[in-house]
Formats: sequence, structure tokens, C-alpha cells
Amino acid sequence: MRASLIAIVLALLGAGCATTSIRGDLDRIETISGQALPPDVLDQVDPVGDARVREILRAPLDADDAVRLAIANHRELRAALRELGIERGRVLQAGLLPNPEIEIDLRSQDDPEQPLQVELYAEFELTHALLTPMRVDVASRELDAARFRAAGRVIETAYLARAAFYDAQAAEQRLAVAVRALDALAAARDTATMLFDAGNVPELDVATQIAAYEEARAVTAELELARAGSRERLHRVLGLHGDATEWSIAAPLDDVPEESAIPEALERDAIESSTELAETRMRLEAIAGRVGLSRTEGWLPDVTVDVHAEQDGQTWEMGGGASIELPIFDRNEGTTAAYEAEFDALMERYEGTAIDIRSAARDACNRLASAHLRAKQYEGVIVPARARVFRQTLLQYNAMQVGVFELVTALRAQLSAELSAIDALREYWTARAALEALLRGRRVSGAVVSSSTGIGADQGSAGGH
Amino acid sequence: MDRRSFLRWSGAAAGAAVLTRAAQVSAQDAHAHAEASATAAAAVPTFERRPASRVAAPGGQPAVITPNGVSLPWTIRDGVKVGHLVAHELDHEFAPGMRARVWGYNGHTPGPTLEAVEGERIRVYVTNRLPEPTTVHWHGLILPNGMDGVSGLNQRPIPPGETWVYEFDLRHPGTFMYHSHYDEMTQIALGMAGMFIVHPRRPVGPRVDRDFVLMTHEWKLEVGARRPDPNAMNDFNVLTFNGKSYPGTEPLLVGVGERVRIRLGNLSPMDHHPIHLHGLNFVMTATDGGYVSQSAQYPETTVIVPVGSTRVIEFTPTEPGDWAMHCHMTHHVMTQMGHGLPPMVGVDTSTVDRRMSRVVPEYMSMGQTGMGGMGEMEMDIPPNSLPMRGARGPFSYIDMGGMFTVLKVRERPESADPNGWFEHPAGSVAGPADAARLRADGIDLE
Repeated sequence: MRASLIAIVLALLGAGCATTSIRGDLDRIETISGQALPPDVLDQVDPVGDARVREILRAPLDADDAVRLAIANHRELRAALRELGIERGRVLQAGLLPNPEIEIDLRSQDDPEQPLQVELYAEFELTHALLTPMRVDVASRELDAARFRAAGRVIETAYLARAAFYDAQAAEQRLAVAVRALDALAAARDTATMLFDAGNVPELDVATQIAAYEEARAVTAELELARAGSRERLHRVLGLHGDATEWSIAAPLDDVPEESAIPEALERDAIESSTELAETRMRLEAIAGRVGLSRTEGWLPDVTVDVHAEQDGQTWEMGGGASIELPIFDRNEGTTAAYEAEFDALMERYEGTAIDIRSAARDACNRLASAHLRAKQYEGVIVPARARVFRQTLLQYNAMQVGVFELVTALRAQLSAELSAIDALREYWTARAALEALLRGRRVSGAVVSSSTGIGADQGSAGGH
Repeated sequence: MDRRSFLRWSGAAAGAAVLTRAAQVSAQDAHAHAEASATAAAAVPTFERRPASRVAAPGGQPAVITPNGVSLPWTIRDGVKVGHLVAHELDHEFAPGMRARVWGYNGHTPGPTLEAVEGERIRVYVTNRLPEPTTVHWHGLILPNGMDGVSGLNQRPIPPGETWVYEFDLRHPGTFMYHSHYDEMTQIALGMAGMFIVHPRRPVGPRVDRDFVLMTHEWKLEVGARRPDPNAMNDFNVLTFNGKSYPGTEPLLVGVGERVRIRLGNLSPMDHHPIHLHGLNFVMTATDGGYVSQSAQYPETTVIVPVGSTRVIEFTPTEPGDWAMHCHMTHHVMTQMGHGLPPMVGVDTSTVDRRMSRVVPEYMSMGQTGMGGMGEMEMDIPPNSLPMRGARGPFSYIDMGGMFTVLKVRERPESADPNGWFEHPAGSVAGPADAARLRADGIDLE
């Protein structure tokens, strides 16, 4: 009897120890997200002071650097990783055996001759202990769900870093184009002023050129703010502050590739890799586990075993017993039904999420295809066409058929096309990052993060006459 | 243009030209060296020496010369002069470097000069190879009404692909023209015109040694375009004598003391042309309406040739040299001048140049000291265009184009080279004033 009791207790203790380390969680998340997590990702107190981060920031940044920095520094992501500890704690807790209850009774009688009577009583909730492995199983499913959730955050953070970086690149390029337009307008304004001073043109001409230049200055100021704003968005994602914000961008946005790289089995890939669906499956399993637990608890009589010892003067009197609560009236039907309903509801949501993910996959694909077409059209057709217009205007200017103002107008139209080309390029790379995030397992909004004011590309204000 | 920017553009390549040119240019025009060093954009064509004119009419009247053009060949059939005009589209060169698709007759615009004698009967076949109908109107000739060629009024138009025939007697001598009288606006604008000369049976006035035919015209050919715009009403930018803009115009080579006749006809769409001759004066002896009696003739140096008229002038040059002959409307001696740009005269653009070169490296301001020299600037311009172009002259660049030609008056015209320049007697060319001379003449520049 005693030996068997010990065996049961040992078995239960073993089940309770089936928890994993944080490294185990991070390895799992790396596998799911396909994103490397540094071994000491959660150790650093302030990554900005970290020598390796400083090293990365010293050289001009590219999008991959931004992702690396974000994975290490993004506070929301770090919080999400730390929250894994909550579920891990619950697993640990679920594996713990109920504590035995011990009762000691000391009794003395009026008669001093009579010895002190000692009564020991120990009780152990056997049924609760027997169900511990099931509870551990449920908590482990919840932990698994949390790992998928955290992996999704990793993918999302990498996407946000990429999108914000592309936006910062675009903002920088847009500003450079706007400065060129401003230069041209300043030249046109100066020419008009000199022509007016020489008496060659009416005041209308110089007023028109001055107005155009001053408007362009305002537009340029907006683009300067847009550039600063896009850098700040990136700082928030990368977790940078203070003098760590003094970094530069390595290169302009890459040209669009020939093909837009859209996978064949798009929907299937998106469904298979989805961390949301995987997380929900784990939660479904956890609820199923709870249903089973609740049912088992319902029919399994609550058995408490106890041993007691009583010293009666000189002799110990030993005994044991068990109390059984008969599941006659309460067989946990209500709790079980509640869990079943929760399962069914979550199942509906699971199906809905799958439908949404399929749609999101097609949506991301459409965005990418369209952005690819537009970027190629701007890069390969529209900008060269505008450059050709400018070149021909220059020839006509050389031939004295048109004046300097027409030349500047043609240049502004070309620069306006270049602005639109930058926007299209940013949309392409953002859409591509969004599709990649989706195929790695996380839906992202896919909308361009946007520091674009839209004004620079407007023919009427920056590009027009 | 200013000198600084000019030098930037002419570059080292022109340097060699400076050296070779310098040997040929006379000492007086040191000022002109830099200008002459720039290679002129338009090549100057060379012209064959014309043989002595044959006699075309009684009294030794010489056959007319149509510079840059031809006369229509005739055959005689039963005493009738028979000719053939084919109306068609053709590729025409206004001057080297500027061509266009125009309409004309027998490969030319203006068409071949018709030349006959008073009293003759002519039969002209007209084949229409244009994409639309046409007619031929014999401008100034008095003939049967059914031969007058006004579409709808005197005849049905000649459909494309058909050959019609005109036949009539030449009752009056004179300087006439012919042109389309169907869709006149389009067809005349595209070049459907020519001259028609009827010599008198008996010479009128003094006998002439040379008899030239020049037809004026105006076109709108956008810089870089390859077909004139027949819809133009203003802003004609290519002005021609016999379909050519200078330097495409063939010079008129004449002898000192010769009596020279020039028959001018104008079928420009919109403009009259005051034709001015240098180095002589002339009298107008006839119009397309007939002869001007000697008592009514008066001396002139400029004759206005109205649209739809001919003017015949005669003169006897006494001063040898290279004499300009041109329309005196200044825009009519500018080829493809743009009119929509602000004038830059008097503007110091050096700071603008610096500023613009940051955004347009090829930019350069032009015209701040005037337009002179524009024609010789070596800049990228649209192909098939001669904006503001003239030609290199014996001293420096001649910055006129358009309706400009040279009357070359020579002591021995029969052996003179039509492409050569006049050799000036020593001391007869204007040059810089030397200080001693200025002092001697009391000119104080301080």
C-alpha cells in the first residue's frame, strides 16, 4: 500500500516537470517565423548602448539591418516574448501535485495519570493528483499557442521595420527630387527677376515665377517634415533614441525586378504557414483538453485517501481510509457544456480566420502585382518619356523656339514623374514585404506606411507650371 | 549670346578652323575672327555655272533663268506646244539640313517655269498624283473661261489619278503664274505654284542680257517637323525664293553694265514682300497686268510684291561686288525664328547660368546681348531644322537666312565662279579705325 502510493506520487511529480526553458521557446519561435533571434535577445537592458548595435548604426543602414535592429530592440516584441513566461508559469503550476493535508490532535485528560493522547491524520486528494497530467497537457497547448502568437509578432515586427525603412528611403529620395525642383524654380525666378529688371517682361511674369518658387518652398518644407517623420516611425520600431538616431541610409530603393515573384499555390502556402491558424488550433486543443478534463472530473468520483495514527498511551493505533464523493448530482455537465460551446465558437472563428487569410493572400498578391506593374511603368516608360520631353524641350530651347520658363516647366514635369516613380517603387517593396510576411505566417495591413504628402507628385503644385 | 558662353560652346574643335580661316580673312576684320571660327551649322551648297542663255523669242530675247529651278520642256505637235505637269508630293530641301514633304509639280516647288511666246498655242496635260483633287489656274492669263481652272466655277476638279488637259492661245505677253485653284489654302501652302512667262513677239523696251525668274513663298515648318503646316495663318518661319531659304538660294550672277531683268512672283499664303536690292537702283517695267510705260517708270531700290502679283524690275549694275537681295521684312530673313520666348537683351545671366547648370547641366542663356551669332552656335538642336541659321560669309557669319540671296556682279560673268566671293580692291573694305587716324580727324573717344 505504501509502496504503491509512493509510486503514484513519483509518477505525478514526473509529469509536473515537463516544462521547457525560455531558450526552447525562442528556438521554436525561430523555426516558426524563419527569423533569427539572437541568443541573448532578452538579456540586454538597453540595446542602444550595445556595442554591436552601435557598429550596425555606424555604417549606412539597409533594410536587413533595420530588421535585425528591430528584432533585438522593439519593445512590444520584447514584451510579447517575455509574456511567454506567463504561459510557461501556468504549465509549471498545472504540473504541481496537491499538497497532502496533515492534522495533529493532541489530547490530555484531567487525569494526570493518563498519558497525552496524540492523534495524526494525513489526507491526500487522489483524484486531483490523478488528473494532473491532463491539466499539464492543457497548459502546454496554451503555451504552444503563445509561441505561435509570439512568432507572429516577430514576423510582424520584421515587416514593420522593412516597411518603415522603405518609407524612410522613399522620403529621402522625394526630398532630393523636391530640392532639385526648387533649384530649377529658383533659377526661373531669378531669370524672371532679371528680365523684369532689364525691362523685358511685365511684372506678371516675375510675379508668376516668384509665386511658383515660394509654393515649392512650402512643398519642400513639407517633404522635409515627411522625411523626419518617417525616420521617427523607424526609430520607434527599431527602439532607437538619443544619439542613436544619427544614422544614414545606405542606398536608394532598389529597382523593381523583372518578375513580381508571386508564388503558385499562394492560398495554400498562406494557410499552411499561418501562425494565427496554428495558434487557434493550439487553443482549440487546449479547450478540447478542458472539455475532457471537465468530463473526467464529472464521472470520476472525488477520492481522498487518508492515513491516521493514534497513540493511546503506549501503543500506536494505525488506520487508513478513503472518502469518496459520489458524482450523482453534479457531474460537471454545466462546465463541460460551457467548454464545448467555447470550442464550437472558436472553431467558427478558426474557419473565418482561414477565409480572411485566403482573401488577404489574394489581396497582398493583387497589391504586389499592381505595384510591380506601376513601378515598372514609371521606371521603364513614364520617367523615360518625361525625360524625352525634357530633352526635346531643351533642343527646342537651344533652337530658340521656347524660353527658359518652358524648359523649367518640362524639368518639373520630369521631376514630378520621378516622384511618382519613387512612390510606386516604395509601394512595390512594401507590398512585397507584406506578402512575404503573410507567407511566413502573419497577416499585416500591407498599406504603405506612408510619409507621402502626395503634394510633391501633384502636377499642379510641385510639378506643374 | 555673350562671348564667355560662346567660347564655352565653340570649344577646342573650332580652334583648328580659326588657324586656317585666319590666313584667308583680311587684316581689317580681326574682330570677326572668333565669330568665323565657329563651324556654321548649315552646309553651304555649291552651284554650277549656268551656260549662256539661248534665245527664246524674236529679237534675241534670252530664255529665262529660274535659279534653283527648271523650265518645262515642250514638244511641238502640229504647231501646238505640248507640255505635261504632274502634281504630286515630294521630298523638298529648303536648304542643306532642312527638308520637308511638300506638294509640287514634276519634282519641284515651285513647279517648272512655263516659257512661251505671245501668239503660241499651248496644250498642257495635268496628271493628278495628289491624294485629293486639284486644278490648275493660269494666273494673269486672259483665256477662255473654261480654261481658267477655278474648281466648281470653271471646271470639275481633276480627281486623283486622272490626267486632264488644258489648251489655249497665249494672246498677251507678260509675267504670269500658275497655281492650284482647288483647296487653295492647303495646296498653295504646300507648294502648288509656279511661274508662267510669255515673251512678246516684239521685244518691249531695251534688250536685256539676263532674265531671272524668282517666286517668293512662305511656309510654316516647326523646328524638327518634316511637313509644312498648311493651316498656318501667322508665324510663317521659312521664307523662300524659288522654294529655297538662304544659304540654299542660288546666287544671281550678272555682268557689270549688263541689263538685267528679274521677274518676281508672289504666291505666299499671307504676306507681301518688299524685295530690296543693294548696290543699284531699278525700275519696274511690268506687272502681271501688263507693261508699265516708260514714262510711268520710276527708280526704286525696293519693290513690294503683293500676294497674287508679279513685278518685273530691270536694272544695269555698275558696281561690281556681292550685293544682297532680300525681303526687307526682317523676320523674313530669319529661318525658323521662335517668337514665343522672352527677349534676353540686356540681361546679365551669369548667375542664372550657374544656378541652372545645377539642374540642367547643358543649359546656357542666349540672346542677352542680342541675337547676332545665334546661327553659328554649336548646340544640340532638333534634327531637320535650321533655327536662326545663315551661312559663313567671306568676312564672318552672315546671320540672315530665309528670303535672301546674293546678286554677284562681276566684270567677267561668263568665267566667274558662282560660288566665289568678290575680291575687294585694296583699301575698299571697312575696318577698325587706328588711333592716329582718329586723332588726325579730331574724333575724341574719351
